[in-house]
Amino acid sequence: MQKHRSSETAATVLQTGAPPPIDRQSQRRRILDAIIESCAAKTYAATTISDIVGRARISRTTFYKHFDDKRDCFDAALGYCIAELERAAAAAHSPTDPPGDAARKGAAAVLEVLAARPGLAQLLTGDALAVDPMVIERYRRVTIPALQALWGREGDSADTHTDPRLAFGQAQVLILNQIATGKTDRLPDLLPEIAYLTVSPFGGHDEAIRQSRLAENVENSVSER
Amino acid sequence: MIDHSEDLRQWRLPRGRHGLPRELVERSQRERLLAAVIKVTVAKGYESTTVGDILGEAGVGRETFYELFDDKLACTLAAHKILVDDLEEQVRAAYTSQDCPWPQRARQALAATLDWFSSDPVAARFTLIELSTVGPAFRATFQSEYARFTTLLEDGFGPEDPQPQLSGASGLAVGAMLARIYEEVVLDRTAALPRLLPDLTYEMLVPFIGEEAARAEQKRAVSSPSG
Repeated sequence: MQKHRSSETAATVLQTGAPPPIDRQSQRRRILDAIIESCAAKTYAATTISDIVGRARISRTTFYKHFDDKRDCFDAALGYCIAELERAAAAAHSPTDPPGDAARKGAAAVLEVLAARPGLAQLLTGDALAVDPMVIERYRRVTIPALQALWGREGDSADTHTDPRLAFGQAQVLILNQIATGKTDRLPDLLPEIAYLTVSPFGGHDEAIRQSRLAENVENSVSER
Repeated sequence: MIDHSEDLRQWRLPRGRHGLPRELVERSQRERLLAAVIKVTVAKGYESTTVGDILGEAGVGRETFYELFDDKLACTLAAHKILVDDLEEQVRAAYTSQDCPWPQRARQALAATLDWFSSDPVAARFTLIELSTVGPAFRATFQSEYARFTTLLEDGFGPEDPQPQLSGASGLAVGAMLARIYEEVVLDRTAALPRLLPDLTYEMLVPFIGEEAARAEQKRAVSSPSG
C-alpha cells in the first residue's frame, strides 16, 4: 500500500493502452473533493480508501499515485480548502479599498464559500480537529500575513489591539457552533462577528465595531430583499 | 474543596467484600466506570478505547457496565457531562458571588475557568480534546455547551450595566476562552493556564467595553490574580 515515488513515472509509462495520462490535476482534484465529501458524510475516522476511490470514480492504484495514505490525502484536502478560501478572500476586494473594508469583504467571501460548500466548513472546524488539533495554525499562517499586509507597516502598533492568533480560534468556534446548530447554509449570518474578529487585531476595536455594523446593515438589506 | 455528589475525584471503594447497601455500591460502580473512562480515553484515545479497558481500569464487571450504560459512547458522554456540570457550577459561583462591577466579575469567572482546567489536566484533555473524536455526537454536545456558557455569561449582566459594544460579544468571549484553553491543553501547557489570566481578560473584555477599559481590567488582573 506504499507509494513509491521513484517507480511512479515508470509505472505510468508502462501502462500502454491505458487512457492517456490526462489531467492529473483534475484527477487529484476529484480525489480531494471525494475525501471532503466523505468526511462530511461519515467523519474522517470512518472514511476508507474505498469510500474515496468510489466517490472519485478512480482506481485504488490511481489514488496511491497521488497520495501515500488517507492522512496524506486529508492533509492535501486541508491545504486545498485553505487555498480556496484565500482565493475567495483575495478576489472579494479591490486594491483601492481601505483595509477595514477589504478585510470585511474578504471575511464575507470566506463565509459565502463555506456556506456554499459545507464540506469545506466541516473539514476545517469539526473533523480536522480530531485528526490534527492544531489545524487552525495552518490557516493562521496564511491569513495573518495577508491581513497585516492590508494595513501596511505604518499602521497602529499591533500590541495595543487584540491577538490575531486568538481571533482565528474564536472564528473557528463560532463557525463550528453554526455548523453544529445545523445552520451551515446561514454561515454568512455570522459576518458581524467574523468581520469584528478579522479587523480588531489590525485596525483596533473602534474600526472593528464600525465594520461589524456595516456588515449588519449589509445583511439586513440582503434579508429584506 | 468540591462537594459534588458525583465528584469523580472522591470515589474510594475498597475492592472485595464490603457491607455497603446495594444502591450505594451501584452508584460507586458508576462513578468508578466514569473515572475509568476518563483515564483510559485520555491515555489511549477514544477510538482505541474498548469497554474491556474501562472495565479493567474500574474493576467492574461487564454486566454491570451494560446495566448502567448503553455503550462506550454513552459512558463517555455521561463522564463528559459530569465534568462540564462541575465546571459550570464553579464558574457560576465565581461570576455571581460578589457584588462588584461586571468586568471584575467576568475576570473572576475567567480565573475560575482557568483554575478548573489547570487543576486537573486529565479532565481538561478529556473534555476539550477527546470530545471531538467521538463522531456525530460531538456536534450536539459542543452546541449545547457553547449555548450554556454563552447564556451563563449573559445572565450576569445587570440592568445597570452598559450594553456590550459588540452585540455578539458573549459568543466571542466564550470562543476566546475555549480557543485559548484548547490550544494550551493540546500543547501540554495545561498546568500553566492561570498565567494567561491578564492577557485573556483583555481579549475577552475588549468587544464588550473597548480597548481602554479592558486594558485597565487587565492591569488589575496582574496585581490581584485571584480576583
